[in-house]
Amino acid sequence: MQFDNEIIEHMANPNNYGSIEEADAIGIGENPQNGEKVIIYLKVSGDNTNPIIEDIKFQAIACMTTVVAGSIITGEAKGIDFDMGEQLISVTLGMLDNVPPEEAACSEMVALALKGAMDNYRLKQEGKESAGVVYKIENSCTISEEELAKIQKEHK
Amino acid sequence: MNRLLQMAHELWLATLMGSFMAKDGENKRLLNEFSDIFYRHHNWIENDLFSKNIEYDYNRDNIPIKVDKLSVLLRNIIDRINQIELALCVCDDKELKARIEHDFEYIKYTLQNMPDEDINAFNMQRKYKNIELSQEATDALTLFLFEESYKEYELIMIYNYLKVHSSDCFINRIFDIMIQESFFHLRSFGEMMAEMGILGVPRVIHKSLYQVEDVVKFLKDGIEEEIGAKEQCKELSDAVAKDSVELAKFFDFINYQESYHIDLMKQALEYYTKKVADE
Repeated sequence: MQFDNEIIEHMANPNNYGSIEEADAIGIGENPQNGEKVIIYLKVSGDNTNPIIEDIKFQAIACMTTVVAGSIITGEAKGIDFDMGEQLISVTLGMLDNVPPEEAACSEMVALALKGAMDNYRLKQEGKESAGVVYKIENSCTISEEELAKIQKEHK
Repeated sequence: MNRLLQMAHELWLATLMGSFMAKDGENKRLLNEFSDIFYRHHNWIENDLFSKNIEYDYNRDNIPIKVDKLSVLLRNIIDRINQIELALCVCDDKELKARIEHDFEYIKYTLQNMPDEDINAFNMQRKYKNIELSQEATDALTLFLFEESYKEYELIMIYNYLKVHSSDCFINRIFDIMIQESFFHLRSFGEMMAEMGILGVPRVIHKSLYQVEDVVKFLKDGIEEEIGAKEQCKELSDAVAKDSVELAKFFDFINYQESYHIDLMKQALEYYTKKVADE
């Protein structure tokens, strides 16, 4: 990663870092190889056909490159609707072919955490119980009972 | 009470950052000492919560520190102290409350009389003293400082949490040393970041990191990480060696200190492995 002032600003003061108490949705992007993960919290408004990401926060148990990716992607996601959110995820994942694998993994984790949070919101709207949705890099999974209980406990 | 703990945490970090950015020797010394006192306040409140079996965490708000005059940060620190004084009404340990209030009285008086100075800790110059580093070495140093300053803060909080939850003298001695070592590294890296104009507050730690469920695994992973950190220091030392003997020697010094940390962590690992086996 080459550093300019903008990147350093993201490192020193990442946008939207933290958690949202009583979030409407939680998504987790995880790298199963090293255990690094990104957690995204959403506050959602608007109608259920195409809700709007009113507020977004993220936490990273990961390297600084992931923090920079989280700062940039959540900055883009704040205030957009879910359709635009899907496009943001798709564009982000589409760009990863051109970046080194270790940096690609960082952005992928953030994009998958956002996807997980949006899917978590949709599941809740369908009346399905879901404390959070976890996607792992390269292979996705639905959340286990054990993980679900853990997230619920952490989120209390 | 958890909010009081968070406020104490935020005050400690704001003051610690102030000590990194101050250049005047006396201002730096005082802010450093006050940040140590605020760290102890945090620990007193934490111990009080733990002894009363009240749930708490190390969550906190982001702490804005970007100022161009020290006086602006000092006013912010005094505001934080005032807010904590109000919040202390929830503390039913009268002696603890009085101890903190007495410290605050003197510290506020001193902060109000502290001479002002210009702050260059956010100018993004990325120059350390007058050392000319290549772009590649500057980027490597920048990344290292951000990664490791967070890591040291994370370690302070993890060992702090483990210490509160242990009453064993042997293991708490190890945690104490590790905390002091991490404080020294955090201070060294923080002051370098301020000198380079890239100072930032370490980000909030996720609770799954300090509410350690498997201490044996945490220590094993930690030893691996320390070995990795040694390697990083070695690489950094090599990268800057041709441009700066001073920086190369500094990173060699940090590298050798990591060996001591590994030794301490191995002692802790042995202790916990035995403890788990005995249970």
